[in-house]
Amino acid sequence: MFKGYLCLVLHGHLPFVRHPEFEDFLEEDWLYEAITETYVPLISVFEGLVNDGIDFRLTMTLSPTLISMLGDPLLQERYLKHINKSIELAAKEMERTAWQPGFRDLARMYFNKFSHSRDTFLKYDRNLNFAFKKFQDLGKLEIITCGATHGFFPLMDVCRASVRAQVKVAVNHYESVFGRKPNGIWLPECGFHPGHDEILKEAGIRYFFTDSHGVLHGSPRPKYGIFAPVYCKGSGVACFGRDLESSKQVWSSIEGYPGDYNYREFYRDIGFDLEYDYIKPYIHPDGVRINTGIKYYRITGAGNNKEPYVENWAREKAAAHAGNFMFNRQKQASYLNDLMGKPPIIVSPYDAELFGHWWYEGPMWLDFLFRKIACDQDEIRLITPSEYLLENPRNQVITPSLSSWGYKGYSEMWLQGSNDWIYRHLHMASQRMSELVKIFPHADGLRKRALNQALRELLLAQSSDWGFILGTGTHTSYAIRRTKEHILRFTRLYEEIKSNSIDEGWLADIEYKDNIFSQIDYRVHQ
Amino acid sequence: MKIFQKVKEKIKKLIPAGFTFKRKKKTQSAKAAGARPDKEMPGFQETVVADAKFSHPEPARPARFIQEELPYQYDQDKIVLQVRDPRWVHTYWELRSQTLESLKSRLGDDFHRARRVLRVYDVTNIIFNGSNANSFFDIQVNDFANSWYIDTGKPGCSFCVDLGLMLPDGRFITIVRSNVVQTPLEGPSWITDEEWMIPDDLFARLYGMGFGLGRSSPVGKAWQERIKQGLFASGISSSPVRRAVKERSFWMKVDCELIVYGATEPSAAVTVQGKPVNLRPDGTFTLRFWLPDGKQHIPVKAVSGDKLEERTITPIVNRETK
Repeated sequence: MFKGYLCLVLHGHLPFVRHPEFEDFLEEDWLYEAITETYVPLISVFEGLVNDGIDFRLTMTLSPTLISMLGDPLLQERYLKHINKSIELAAKEMERTAWQPGFRDLARMYFNKFSHSRDTFLKYDRNLNFAFKKFQDLGKLEIITCGATHGFFPLMDVCRASVRAQVKVAVNHYESVFGRKPNGIWLPECGFHPGHDEILKEAGIRYFFTDSHGVLHGSPRPKYGIFAPVYCKGSGVACFGRDLESSKQVWSSIEGYPGDYNYREFYRDIGFDLEYDYIKPYIHPDGVRINTGIKYYRITGAGNNKEPYVENWAREKAAAHAGNFMFNRQKQASYLNDLMGKPPIIVSPYDAELFGHWWYEGPMWLDFLFRKIACDQDEIRLITPSEYLLENPRNQVITPSLSSWGYKGYSEMWLQGSNDWIYRHLHMASQRMSELVKIFPHADGLRKRALNQALRELLLAQSSDWGFILGTGTHTSYAIRRTKEHILRFTRLYEEIKSNSIDEGWLADIEYKDNIFSQIDYRVHQ
Repeated sequence: MKIFQKVKEKIKKLIPAGFTFKRKKKTQSAKAAGARPDKEMPGFQETVVADAKFSHPEPARPARFIQEELPYQYDQDKIVLQVRDPRWVHTYWELRSQTLESLKSRLGDDFHRARRVLRVYDVTNIIFNGSNANSFFDIQVNDFANSWYIDTGKPGCSFCVDLGLMLPDGRFITIVRSNVVQTPLEGPSWITDEEWMIPDDLFARLYGMGFGLGRSSPVGKAWQERIKQGLFASGISSSPVRRAVKERSFWMKVDCELIVYGATEPSAAVTVQGKPVNLRPDGTFTLRFWLPDGKQHIPVKAVSGDKLEERTITPIVNRETK
């Protein structure tokens, strides 16, 4: 008997990293790894479900930067090169491990996985956006948009013109790729600041998500907590709050599934484990050891002693965990249904890259979960927010609270000693961009090109990824470089536009390097 | 707990430089929490996972990456206020040298005796006109500071900050005034008035479809069974993951590989342990194996291109691990 809805959301995003000026650029691997480990495996899950006639619903963000990279011919070419190398390495590994049957089987698993990844990539004409679009058009997947470059909106509140530009550029870009407007948005880092819902409304967006406390600490107090969406006061845009319990089961390496000892260990990669000369052709040309994606061990236990991965054990665990997740949602829905007197919606958002990249068995778990929900029960039903709102249009009106899903739940991840210096520059650039739009409301020719590029540089500087990386301290030199680079390019454009001395050669060069959003219109920044 | 240890190790590997969630030293009060990331804190796992996207070590960048510095400031009088969390706000500012010069000539010697001060106004529920704040407090800052974290201690309130000078006679002169921000609530709202809405377009759709879309609430038998099963205890979910005791983390790993290589006529066919091997154009070949314990016989056989001659050489390797 039907008790409630489950809304699974995967947030797919990577910052725009594309360096045509270099032959080989380490940070571009972020995309290549995500393609092989997350995006292709997810697409394969969708394909399998459709082929087997299993109905499912999934809501998924594809951030505009991710869509841009997936559709970029240079990065596509480089991915092909990358995956070919991976296949070559896996083939060598099958030979090297010939006397170790356990490992040889794993090497073959990777060989098959990499080959499958290449085949899928080629099958969709090298552009995985086509694959996601296909499942959206089939009604199984609802693709939502995100901030154009994943800017963290709460810390852009003093220049709302930039929030507007982030949203409008994203919506226009989405439309050019998927042939329709997005219904929903994943606010970057789930960062909501009251008032930004008005900007979403202007852009035709119907709903967004916040972390639990975004709804729970909203005012007036939400009658159904996070188990029914609310409409924002004033704008009427719907806001869905995240369910903590289902989140924890998947996210947490303390109580969550990904920490199971039978699952694959993320940190033991042959890029670091094997003898240097042998692995050298497959790591970075500078000789820095990096992940190759071939990892032979299971988590095993808390210590550093790791035992070989056993595919079947992991598969059985993934099936059991999918069953456990479903069971808990059934119980939860049933309990809430009684409490509320109507079917709850349980909203469970995750980073897409958690599935496959961080949690290797994640896509398999999702596959089992969809199949079990379709075949083994009738208490919970998968739904997208758009469908939910059609079926349940009457909801409470409140003002959700400032919130994010970052560390400590607010803005501290992006506003601390290591990264607070960037806002002085970002806000100044926003202010200047608005000034330019005011001075040149109808530019054309070279000036229009320069103004459009100025907005590209500003948006690229605003990616929350740079602040995040500075905050965690892992990859800071690249994040600092990118922040400065885009601000410097913006500032030079600003000065050249104002003094009517645009250097066309230089402009062409940065248009070639930062080529994102070819259809951008600078006038959205106001 | 064992798994805690694992998370810690992961964090250590992920973040060699130390996960410094520390707030700046120059905070107004010493209430700053501990610097260690708290695993129970909301967003901790999200941070670990998102960080795994950027999991490469940093290569040394060649000299061509050296770039220009950003300006120290932008020649304007400005102070900006932003919310960090329900209790803390952050402010940054800059002042033009002309502004300071004109203050100097206006105030004379008092300028040098004055202290630079941030005045933090509570402007909750009012339209601030400079003198009607609910309350305010001052923070003395040094002349070189250009940003500050402020502990307001007040969730759900509005604030505005003046950067100004406190003169020896107690007068306060505002130099620049910030925007107004509002801190979020730290708990549920006390306001429980309900307002409900059906957006016009959704209502139109509903109307057109004859009100037939909403699913009825299934209250009844299945639900009563759940109560009998005692599912209304505090936690609803069960966790399938084991917990175990802590282990020590010292470790070492040694592996042994065997390289078999040789050369023959480029036209020859070579097998190793019966499996064909690809020759390079010059007739050489190399195989590399992960060597297990025990004795390995590795017959390498070459057959000439015309199949008239053959040679077999069999290295025997014994690996013993103690």
